Amino acid sequence: MSQEVEETLKRIQQHKGVVGTIVVNNEGVAVKSTLDNTSTVQYAGLMGQLADKARSVVRDLDPSNDLTFLRIRSKKHEIMIAPDKDFIMIVIQNPTD
Amino acid sequence: MNNPLIPKKMPFFKQLKRTLHQIRASSFVRGGISGEGDEDSWRARQLIKPEDQMDLTDAELCEEIPKVLSCENRNVPHNLVIYSFREGGYIPVPRTTNVVTIFEHEGTALHIESSEAKAQIADERDRGIVQVDPRISDLKSGSQTGTTTPDLDRNPDENADGENEEEVGSEAGGEADAEGEEEQKETQTAVAAGPKKKLTNQFNFCERAALTYNSPSRSVETQTVPPPRSSFSANVVQWHIYDSYNEDYERLKREKEKEMLKEKKPGLQKHAEMKRGDAKTKAAEEFNRKYFQKAQVLERMVNQNIFDEIAHDYRYWEDPSDEYREDDGTLLPLWKFTYDKCKKMSVTDICLNTFYYDLFAVCFGSFDFIKQVTEGYVCLFSIKNPSFPEYRITTESGAMCCDIHKKYPYLIVVGQYDGNVCVYNLQDGKDPVYVSQGVNGKHSEAIWEVKWGEDMQDGEINFYSLSTDGRVFNWVLMQNKLTLTTIITLYLDVNPVSGPDGTTIKLKASGTCMVFHPTNKEIFQVGTEDGLIFKCSTAYSSKYLMIYQAHYLSVHRMDFNKFNSNIFISCSGDWRVKIWEDMRSDPLFIFDLGASVGDVKWAPYSSTVFAAVTTEGRVFVFDLNVNKYKPICSQQVVPRKRNKLTRIVFNNKLPFIIVGDDKGTSITLKLSPNLRLPCKPTKKQQYQDQLQLQISKLDRLLSLVRELPDGVEATQEDVQTEVGSN
Repeated sequence: MSQEVEETLKRIQQHKGVVGTIVVNNEGVAVKSTLDNTSTVQYAGLMGQLADKARSVVRDLDPSNDLTFLRIRSKKHEIMIAPDKDFIMIVIQNPTD
Repeated sequence: MNNPLIPKKMPFFKQLKRTLHQIRASSFVRGGISGEGDEDSWRARQLIKPEDQMDLTDAELCEEIPKVLSCENRNVPHNLVIYSFREGGYIPVPRTTNVVTIFEHEGTALHIESSEAKAQIADERDRGIVQVDPRISDLKSGSQTGTTTPDLDRNPDENADGENEEEVGSEAGGEADAEGEEEQKETQTAVAAGPKKKLTNQFNFCERAALTYNSPSRSVETQTVPPPRSSFSANVVQWHIYDSYNEDYERLKREKEKEMLKEKKPGLQKHAEMKRGDAKTKAAEEFNRKYFQKAQVLERMVNQNIFDEIAHDYRYWEDPSDEYREDDGTLLPLWKFTYDKCKKMSVTDICLNTFYYDLFAVCFGSFDFIKQVTEGYVCLFSIKNPSFPEYRITTESGAMCCDIHKKYPYLIVVGQYDGNVCVYNLQDGKDPVYVSQGVNGKHSEAIWEVKWGEDMQDGEINFYSLSTDGRVFNWVLMQNKLTLTTIITLYLDVNPVSGPDGTTIKLKASGTCMVFHPTNKEIFQVGTEDGLIFKCSTAYSSKYLMIYQAHYLSVHRMDFNKFNSNIFISCSGDWRVKIWEDMRSDPLFIFDLGASVGDVKWAPYSSTVFAAVTTEGRVFVFDLNVNKYKPICSQQVVPRKRNKLTRIVFNNKLPFIIVGDDKGTSITLKLSPNLRLPCKPTKKQQYQDQLQLQISKLDRLLSLVRELPDGVEATQEDVQTEVGSN
């Protein structure tokens, strides 16, 4: 990862209410995380599946379309997922902070 | 048949059978299957007697029952008939014979009295003679080897015969030498003797047979290692198919291109190969780019959550109190844009991107001669991410001004305090694509304004720059360097002053701002430090079209009206904002704002609205149509004591303005509905669009303001024709 990306991720982590950032590679392995090990593995696994499913849904509806971003608003958090062919970036934010 | 031979043979058969069984059994044992059961059953079978077997007495057993064999088959019918259609009745079928051929074998012996045997004997006798007679054998060998035997007797009969033959030969073959003829003749005699000796065939065929050893047959078995197996399963959905089709299409296209390359030139191919070399680094770059892009999107989203309320305000908040206020409006502060490294610098220029309306460039430097900065920045902010700039450019000295190209929104030119200009391509990275070089290749003092010009006739991109050294340069972006031409050097209209050593110096007018005419791209105006405004043309390098005695202090900024290009506005350090009409030496409007005015801009949405910022931290918005004397909005945006406002820009599409202060902050302010009232068409103007309405609104206003002295209308026309001729 280049300097720029590292910097941006660092900045994101410093933003208000950001709980954690995770970068997952295409094998489902978290290559970068600011969370503890257990939750990283859990997030990486589950969000990977969800992103795949979401992508599949979007593409099934229109094959020329594609999923670019996914955000989940939950009672406690907002989970933002930026999926790509080769990796998935996940940011968990507590928006009410 | 009670043949005594059969019972005798039985034990032998039994024995044989048993041995066979044993062999078979043993082989089964070897093969892994037990054969003992079979042997048992064989023994049991031996003891079984048919139940209805009669018990005979000895006398009965001793009784002889004669049986006669005859060669007549009694089962053959002897009165067979067949119906004949020809004769119309049954006719007897001849009786079949009683002979049954059981075994037939061709023997090698012949009956001595048969004709065949006789022939054979005769043949053998002949052969014996042949063997005895050396002459014939010699003849034979001669015919076979093709050489004549010299001690061969030649009887005259034969010679005579040969001559006869020779005649035939000469008839057939022509020139054949004598020896050849003799040969022929001899073979013929041999052939003549032939039929007697050879019986079986004419080719003297003999058969010989030999029996070779039978190679014992062997069977060898091997088992190969089974090929590795794996189970594969997948669900196929529509988009998988779509993707694979796309992939295939891409592949085909690439192949086609490759073929095209091959056909074209070998040199090109080499080039392609070279490219393949750094494909790896390219892939890594691509990967990083994707990472960066996604990270940026995420940052925007995080920011959106943080600044959720501001975003809602920006989108939906229309100050409801405006309805109850007469004409006044308010400004609602939205996002603040700062960059950590520029907290102590002033915002020296704000420039909107022409392509992305949410993107704008902010220059950071210093206006203060004493407190100059060691390095300047140009940051491109997007309102989508208020916390961090999208792009950052670092300059060697304070950045004083910048401009984004209208046609190529990724090209940005930056003018610096040290007189250098540099051009950046935002797509290319952080280094400038073009930099001015050398002492003579730059301005000698700070650059105050850079502006992209219209593309030249041969499509070259160029820009103009203005500096305090009183010169306007035109820079052209060549293939790999910037070339500069001086458009004009501005001199003050005063007598030359005496310099050192008795020389005289013509004083230059230090330019501070420059605007280009919105429609006539040759015309531009330069504001100077001593309050003059020069109207110049790029076509003349020594003449001014007009000099306005505009202000008492330096002119800070000018702006042409967006709807009427004859109207422009200027602001100055003498607290004043003045509105001018082209070629009219007196201003139409003068406003005193009570502090040095940093910047003034016409609104893009209304012909009569303009906004100005002062060093006291106030933003003024005027609508001449509403109030010709007082601003409709005057709002303190930053603390009066600490911050000064330096620049202001209207967003071209969205209802907010951006103001910059001297602490490196750019603040976006939303204009309340009263500040952006659209023109209400009167009954007459029902079918006019907003543009025409705005123009007529301004015209109406101007006609009220113009104190029409004698001949003004005439000069107006003159000016227009003059401009047209330029």
